[in-house]
Order: sequence, then C-alpha cells, then structure tokens
Amino acid sequence: MQFNFNEDSRSKFKWGILVLLLAILCTLPLWAPEYFVMVFMLIFLYMALGQMWNLLAGYTGLVSLGQQIFIGLGGYSLAVITELYDLPMLLGLFVGGVISVIFALVISQPIFKMRGVYFTIGTWIAAEALAVFFSNWTYVRSGQGFNITASYDLTTVDIYYIALVVGIGSVALVYFLLRSRLGLALMAMRDNESAAETMGIELYKTKLKCFLISAFVTGVAGGALYLSIAYIQPFAAYSIDWTVAMVFMVIIGGIGTLEGPIIGAVVYVVLKQFLYDYPGISMIILGVLAVAIILIAPKGIMGTLHDRYGIEFLSARRRSKDVESAA
Amino acid sequence: MNAVLKVENIGISFGSNDVLKSLSFELGENEVLGVIGPNGAGKTVMLNILTGILKPTKGSIIFQGKNITDRTITERCRMGFGRTFQVPRPFEKMTVFENVIVGGVYGDQLREKDAKRRALEVTEIIGLGDKKDWFAGKLGLLDRKRLEIARALASNPKVLLFDEVAGGLTESEVSDILGIVRMVKEQGVSVVWIEHVLKTMREGTDRVLCLAEGRNVICGLPDEVMESKEVHEVYLGAEEE
Repeated sequence: MQFNFNEDSRSKFKWGILVLLLAILCTLPLWAPEYFVMVFMLIFLYMALGQMWNLLAGYTGLVSLGQQIFIGLGGYSLAVITELYDLPMLLGLFVGGVISVIFALVISQPIFKMRGVYFTIGTWIAAEALAVFFSNWTYVRSGQGFNITASYDLTTVDIYYIALVVGIGSVALVYFLLRSRLGLALMAMRDNESAAETMGIELYKTKLKCFLISAFVTGVAGGALYLSIAYIQPFAAYSIDWTVAMVFMVIIGGIGTLEGPIIGAVVYVVLKQFLYDYPGISMIILGVLAVAIILIAPKGIMGTLHDRYGIEFLSARRRSKDVESAA
Repeated sequence: MNAVLKVENIGISFGSNDVLKSLSFELGENEVLGVIGPNGAGKTVMLNILTGILKPTKGSIIFQGKNITDRTITERCRMGFGRTFQVPRPFEKMTVFENVIVGGVYGDQLREKDAKRRALEVTEIIGLGDKKDWFAGKLGLLDRKRLEIARALASNPKVLLFDEVAGGLTESEVSDILGIVRMVKEQGVSVVWIEHVLKTMREGTDRVLCLAEGRNVICGLPDEVMESKEVHEVYLGAEEE
C-alpha cells in the first residue's frame, strides 16, 4: 500500500481548518455557556498531561506511573509561591515547571538505571514517597494542605485561557519536537530501539531530554489544574489517579501518535462529565471502555485510523517531494 | 593488504559458555569478507561485538589504527560502522525516505537538509526510488533488506556489516542483493558479510572466513575455502579413518 502524501491544497485546507478551530477556541468564552468553557478548560489541561505521558511512553518507551510527581510539585509550587510568598500566580506556574525539571533530573539518575517494568514501579514509588514526605513536611502545612486563594480572584474564563495556552502549547511543542532532529530520533526509537541505537541515536540522552520536557509541561499543567481545584493536599496531589487518567487517554486515543492524547482527553473529560452523578460505577465504565478499545483497536482510535486508512491530521512527516521540488 | 579493521584474539563468554574463544581477522580497504560457519559458530555474536552491542571479555578491535574495543554503539556508528540485522528492523511507522534520513542525521551527523538530499540519492541507488514514500512496515522482505542497507549507507560507513542479508530470498532476489553488494564495494566501503547461502559467498566476496566453535578455522579465497577439507569437516563432520 502506498502512503499518499497530501496535496498542497489539501495541506492548506488542513491548516485553514486548524486556524479556524483555534479562532473558535479563542473566542469560546464570548459565546459559549460557562459550563462548556469549564469542560474545554479541563480538556486542554488533560490534553497537556496526555501529550506528555505519550511523549514518554509512546516515543521513548518510558512507561511512567509517576507523572503525578510533577502534578503535585506544580500544584504545591503554585500554592507556596502565592500563599506563603504572595507572589504572582503565573510565577507560581513557571516555578512549578522548573522545580519539576530539577526533581526529574535528580531522580533520573537512579530511575534510568531501572529497565522496563522496574522503571514503571520506580516512578510510582517515587510519587508515593513524595506524598508521604509532603504529608509530614510542616513547611507545606503537612497533611492539612493549602487553600489556593490566588485562584479565588480568577474566573473560569481566566483559567480557561491559561489552560488553552498550556493545552495547545503542549500539542505545538510535541509537533515541533517531532519535526526537529530530536523528533527523528524519537520516531525511530518508538519503532525499534535497538536499530535506532545502531544508527547513532543516543538512547539515554534522548530519553532524558523527553523526561525533562515532560516534567516541565506536566508541572505547569499541574499548577493550572490546581488553579481550578483551589485546594491542594498531599495524597490527592500525588495520587496515581492522575497517571491512570493519562494512560486511559493515550490508550483510547492512540499511543505514539500526536492526535491520540487530544482525542483521548476529549473522550475522558466528556465521559467523566456524563458519569459525574454515578461515582460508584464511573471508573468501572471507563475501565470497560479501555479494555474494549484495547481488544477492538489495540493501537487506539488514531493508531487504527492511521494503520487502516493512513489518516494523520497533524503530520510531522518529512516529505520527499519537498526536497525534490526544492532541487 | 591495507587493513581498515583488525580483530585481534577476541573472545566472549556467557556464564561458562565460551561462545567466541579466540577470533582474529583483518578486513582490507574496499574488501568484501564473507563469514560462514554452522549454527552456533558465533557469527552473529561476532557482529554484535563489532557494533558494540556486546563487549568482548578478551581481545581488541582496531579500526583505522584506533582501538575501539571500549567505544559505545553510537560512537562506532558515527566512526563509520553500519549494519543490517538477520531479521530486518526497519522503523515501520516511518516512510522509507524518513528511515534513510535517520542514517544521515545521526550516523553521519549531517544537517537534516543535507540528510534529505542524501536520502533521495541513496534510495534511488538502492532501488527504492519508487517506494520512498511508502511506510517501511508495508515493504516486502527484499525491500526491507534494501532499506536496511540504504539506511546504513546514508550514514556514510567505512565498514558495513551484513547479517544474512540474502537469507530467505529467492534466487533472483539474491542476485539483486549481490548487485547491491558490488555497488557498495564500488563506493569504497569494506564489508563483513555473514551468510549461509554459500553460492553468494563464492560470487560476492573477495575472501571467506570460516568460523566453528568460536574460532576461525580457515580464511582465504572463496573457492579455496569452500573446497577445503576444514570446511567440509565443519559442515559434514570428519570422515572416519
């Protein structure tokens, strides 16, 4: 089967649709009900979380169950910066990202020595250890946690725009990453790690870069999530539920695809809204759905569409005809 | 012979199993060295040692006068080692063109723009010009083997290591591979070629090395090696007196 590259006009049409979509999303608070705005805000934040988990698991093979580390660090950084030091909220979000990167760098040394499932368990243990540590650390008010009062001054629309920047920014980041030199390595590693290494790709450095990028964005997104939640305490902040949501989104949407976490975030957030009144069975339904998708379409929605029909909405492909026409 | 690669007395053990006991050979510039031997002789292990996947427990590897025994896989690739795998390992969700770009960008440290130009040239030379926009996962066996060679060539190698590149192919496909090996040689690349198809060894190599039980049994001109008593003993066993 031949891969059909889009014609120029098709490509322009695609970009036109994307620009139109972006314009609609930017003006959403002007014409949509507040509930809609809130739902889209959550979609953007979860989209960012899913993109970052996918960057790790889908491209570098680092299946982390400890992404909640960075959500917690992002949330706590926001709380400490705004509550204890009365500094601007945006600085809190940025510091959350930076602290996440520093922490990721520190734990990468022991954790990267673990392979496969040991890496997965290692990240989870690190998150659990942080939860226990924070629940006993008086500087962050131990188990009592913080009310994030800085968020009281913000409207849903304010948080929506922050979420929009984080969500769309995460998609753009991964897109341009895949278009870069690093992206070539990521796609090669995704497809065959041992062959990638024999082609001169440094696995450790590439994985570390992705781990740090993922930590930064997850930290910022975690801070933004806690702007909407407005209260943080250790065992919720470092709960594995965050990563379970990321895994769900990426599996549903399609692991190792750019569009997968977007679709996954929409499905996850919308389903959660519908199942809001059924807390007892909501997780069961989400679990059954995940199992069904794994059985019917193991590569997720986008992975299956790509395999069967060659469909890609956000293509990071290198096209031979671009080089031929330039020559 | 002006040797580009010298393998000096290398050996490797897995537990108490000495897979390679003592192997030495030289590879000349622009030479195709065939490596034959029965299953379990240590041929693929030897390739894995040469590419840095395995570290020898003894001996040394000298490449262009430098001892590279402790160099990593990526360092060796960037120094000029390319390889193919017994079972091809293309980047399946990438196109043929993208697969070959990886070789230029990472193997030869080219800028992506230059790597793309080289990828166009290499895919044409190797016979994948009309399939360069195919996903690698959709290719048949011969084209997968071609792609692995193209990917390795794009990294501008000085030594190419072929692991049973003619294995599993039909006779006409094998002659295609022979043509590609000759073309590779014409480009000034030295080749170490492991193969079970002895006919291709006769036709496609300058010298043949026979391995058995982790040692080199005999090394020489293809016809001499194929007809030698040592090789017959290795494959068929020694005749009783």
